Amino acid sequence: MVLERLLSLGKKERDVTEDMRRHIELLCDACKTFKAALENEDRKLMREVIDLERQGDSARRGVISHIYEGAFLPYLRPDLCKFVEVVDEVFDLLKDTATYCLDTDLPEPLRGECVRVALLNFRMSEMLMIAFDAMLKGQDLREKTLAIRIYEKKIDDMKFSIINEAQQIPVSDFWSGKMLSDLISGLTSISNVIEDASDHLQILNLSTR
Amino acid sequence: MQVREFMTTKIESIDADGSVYDAVEIMVDRHLRSLAVKVSGKSGKASIEGVVTARDIVFKVLAKGMNPKNVKVSEIASRPIICINQETNIEDAAAVMEKSNIARLYVSDGEKVVGLVSMLDIMAAELIISARGSYGS
Repeated sequence: MVLERLLSLGKKERDVTEDMRRHIELLCDACKTFKAALENEDRKLMREVIDLERQGDSARRGVISHIYEGAFLPYLRPDLCKFVEVVDEVFDLLKDTATYCLDTDLPEPLRGECVRVALLNFRMSEMLMIAFDAMLKGQDLREKTLAIRIYEKKIDDMKFSIINEAQQIPVSDFWSGKMLSDLISGLTSISNVIEDASDHLQILNLSTR
Repeated sequence: MQVREFMTTKIESIDADGSVYDAVEIMVDRHLRSLAVKVSGKSGKASIEGVVTARDIVFKVLAKGMNPKNVKVSEIASRPIICINQETNIEDAAAVMEKSNIARLYVSDGEKVVGLVSMLDIMAAELIISARGSYGS
């Protein structure tokens, strides 16, 4: 409610929230593209994830500079910036994982579960967008953050079965094993960072009440 | 929302010739309420023939004072397993559970069993549907 009032104060604040929304929208696009690329083994699409990360980076810079040009009360600015930085960490992780996918062939026994994790990552990014919109409307975020935690728990459970399955897969040398391990680790860590972003959103929501 | 988004793909199982005691060990150790009962075919490929639940073990073996080491899981397993397609939506899966009076459904992709969906999964999916509201629809 208070945030709504703050937004009504001026164009600068509205610009920031529009940029933040665009930033999360790009994250949703990147997660969706990653899932499709992994499912269809489409390297061109996987490279698009890296392009989307670059666009996300530029959106992040836009938000930060708008904030320090004087949008919002000073006490709100660190929390707003922190939230944007955490969303950017998701982009970084997604880009790294996309790069591992380009450099290594995902073994067939792992593909199904990895695609499911990518789908749940996409659903989590959508839920982050829903939570952000709800915050702008001054709504309670409890239900949305709970949904994000449910997704995170699901991915956490899947992580161990993917690791167990991966242990059965022979690797030709140290580096191919490391690349596969980093790919799995990156893919299953994205949800942790989205959960952190949702926690920051909750803090932001409370600090504007 | 389809069940494939919410199913568990790790299906814990026991061989049909295993004893009920073996099943108890696995279930207690891994905090499971049921195990798929597998039978190996002539080709060596195992298929799920039935399911043994904590309820089956307690009611059909322990409550009757039988020695679980002397009873094979195939003797008490419920058959056939109840399967739904992975594209079934959550509400329909809940209706099948209610109609069949069971807490877990196996999920198939064609002929192959690919997952398991429990009542808790249905409830979690319900929370997510509510949180999503009309987004994307």
